[in-house]
Amino acid sequence: MKKSGALIFVLISTLFISLAQVLFKLGSETLQFNFSLLINKFILGGFLLYGLGAVLIIISLRGQNLTFIYPVITTSYIWVSLLSVYVFHESMHFYKIWGILLIIFGIILIGLGDKNNIRKPKLVSEKEVNHD
Amino acid sequence: MTELWAVVLVLISGVYGGLAPIYLKRGVESFQIKKFRTYFNLLKGFFIYVTGALIFIFALKGGELSVLYPLVAFSYVWTCLYSKLMLKEQMNKYKWLGILLVVFGVMLISLGTV
Repeated sequence: MKKSGALIFVLISTLFISLAQVLFKLGSETLQFNFSLLINKFILGGFLLYGLGAVLIIISLRGQNLTFIYPVITTSYIWVSLLSVYVFHESMHFYKIWGILLIIFGIILIGLGDKNNIRKPKLVSEKEVNHD
Repeated sequence: MTELWAVVLVLISGVYGGLAPIYLKRGVESFQIKKFRTYFNLLKGFFIYVTGALIFIFALKGGELSVLYPLVAFSYVWTCLYSKLMLKEQMNKYKWLGILLVVFGVMLISLGTV
């Protein structure tokens, strides 16, 4: 996958992960620790979105540097901060605003600094497989 | 009051949990759908994720979330270090600075949340 394609995959995945956390929160508000935990539609939906997000991230890792993809996952913190303002009317602490800005600048720096050295991780992983 | 052992345990869970994406990466690079052997790295990655989270949850017994939660962000530094050492990925000063910004950003959001 191209770098831009992988980036879009990860960003969609972070949206899924953030929505999953919002669903968990919605589910937890009516939660009782008995069997209803397993059939709570918010909790189940949350797990489903988490799973989809994980699959998207793993697919996007193929052929990309982990040191590029992994920090991008922190955009889920940004979505959660914004979503919790709109969905739960939580306050926007100024720490959060600074945190969001730092994450955005950090990811841009990593993206600009990242050169795709696709061959090296492949060689290492093939070696690993032979050892197993 | 947050106990020292809880802080240490959260840092350890970061050092340990940071390994999980390394195995996911190895798993997906060598993945072949018909070979069971290639699932092994992916399973290893998932196992480390889950056990790392369990260590963190256990550590929460010994302290406040507002102190312990921001410390989780350090695992991103470990993951980059492991990527450099184990996957031979190239790091440079832009990427390290970017990682530091991301880690501080995550810590600030965590501090503003709890």
